[in-house]
Amino acid sequence: MLEIHDLKAAYGQVQVLHGISLNVPQGQVVTLIGSNGAGKTTTMRAVSGMLRPSGGRIVLRGRDITGLPAHRIAKIGLAHSPEGRRVFPTQSVRDNLMLGAFTRLTLGGKRPRGDLQGDLGRALDLFPRLRERQNQLAGTLSGGEQQMLAMARALMLNPEVLLLDEPSMGLAPILVEEVFHIIGRLKAQGITMLLVEQFAAAALGVADYGYVLENGRIAVHGPAAQLRSDPKVQAAYLGGAASH
Amino acid sequence: MDILMQLLMSGIALGMIYAVIAFGYQSTFATSGTLNFGQGEALMLGAMVGLSLNGDVLGGPYMNYWLMIPLVLLFGALQGMLVEFVGVRPAIKSKSEFGWIMSTIALGIIFRNVAENIWGRDDLPFPSPLPTAPIHILGANVLPMELMVVVGALLMMLLVEVFNRRSIYGKAVVATASDRDAAGLMGINTSLVIMFSYALSSMSAAFAGVLIAPITLTGASMGAVLGLKAFAVAIIGGLTSGLGVIVGGVLLGIAETTTGFYLSTGYKDVPGLVLLLLVLAIKPSGLFGKTTIKKV
Repeated sequence: MLEIHDLKAAYGQVQVLHGISLNVPQGQVVTLIGSNGAGKTTTMRAVSGMLRPSGGRIVLRGRDITGLPAHRIAKIGLAHSPEGRRVFPTQSVRDNLMLGAFTRLTLGGKRPRGDLQGDLGRALDLFPRLRERQNQLAGTLSGGEQQMLAMARALMLNPEVLLLDEPSMGLAPILVEEVFHIIGRLKAQGITMLLVEQFAAAALGVADYGYVLENGRIAVHGPAAQLRSDPKVQAAYLGGAASH
Repeated sequence: MDILMQLLMSGIALGMIYAVIAFGYQSTFATSGTLNFGQGEALMLGAMVGLSLNGDVLGGPYMNYWLMIPLVLLFGALQGMLVEFVGVRPAIKSKSEFGWIMSTIALGIIFRNVAENIWGRDDLPFPSPLPTAPIHILGANVLPMELMVVVGALLMMLLVEVFNRRSIYGKAVVATASDRDAAGLMGINTSLVIMFSYALSSMSAAFAGVLIAPITLTGASMGAVLGLKAFAVAIIGGLTSGLGVIVGGVLLGIAETTTGFYLSTGYKDVPGLVLLLLVLAIKPSGLFGKTTIKKV
């Protein structure tokens, strides 16, 4: 579904990704874990077109999307819930969700409209808090609610692949649990996901496959269960994650 | 009392023109963080094209005032797109922080020169589409055209506001204004949105041009001072507030007419600029501008 080959990316002169390859098969949840500054968010940004890669190749649904602008990648069916939520603060929760479905609503949108109202209903069922706050401005939501909105907004694209970047960042422990519970439900629905997380243990708990990123390179990868029991991964990430 | 009323009414009409141009500044600033410093020239071109269609300068008149307006709006939109494509897009792409300032000023000067060559340097009269006999409102004499300026200006801003709030395309414009990268992730072509905002900006200026032309003189140099004062209005009202430009515009308009009468017409530009300096010193985001607070 999503294949990344030898991806390189840089911010100005500083190279962040030194050629990483990973594969997200259809219907699976793949997680990318690693310490701060390893290049997790950069990988996500390069895949969704927020950042132009300096090398390598990204293939989505058999189409080469390397270097395409973000809006064209979205039209091919990739949704990205970015780091820091990035909801539209001056617009209502409902408008934010409708903007998530922009590619399905407009003439040049290229995504089938499908059952828009049904999807809106399902997104609000998944995040009941948003249903109560539909008419509230997104900027007035709490951090946790904004995270829910960012995820719901990404789902409104009806994506082929969903990128979730740090969905638990800055949330209270009880909300972190809720977010992972929701990711589990999305997985059960068969949604293909690439998940970046600080909470490596929880991410490996929900994922099928995992990649460990160190200084812009893939250090280890394997089925999630195998990584969970890998002593080196445990020492570096799983123990460390619990102390945060 | 009647005189004061008269000055207020004239000030409001003038102020609404400033507001429409300032509204154009806001439109591009919101989506791209850039401004078209050739707004005054966009106004002038709108008025000149309107005069050519509606007056007898280039073999016309070809049509009446009301039919001319949609054509002038279309012309304004295209002119704005040209400015964006030639002057602003390259600067945004190369991440040049100030390149657009020079390029939009340069394009403005080019437009003025072209206009001088087509229409000459002299001011021309613009035929009034409405009766020129003043009507009496609250003891003041108001030209029907001045009323039309106020109504037209408010109507235009209202329509844009409705578009932004109700249609998905308008919502995309607002989304681009608040977070361009995130808007791109939604599948919104943000470069197109920026071009659209330039089209809207020049379109409002061109509209202001044909609104004001019948009550002033029309000529290649008519836009320069208006564009500058409208910029002051955008700063006074706040570059992010729709209500701000209306209040700022009317404040400046009234300040000018009253100073012109009670002090001297020679000083009529001073109070507005003093107001501008005061706002910049005391509340730099403008009277109605919001200091953005980001939630992390």
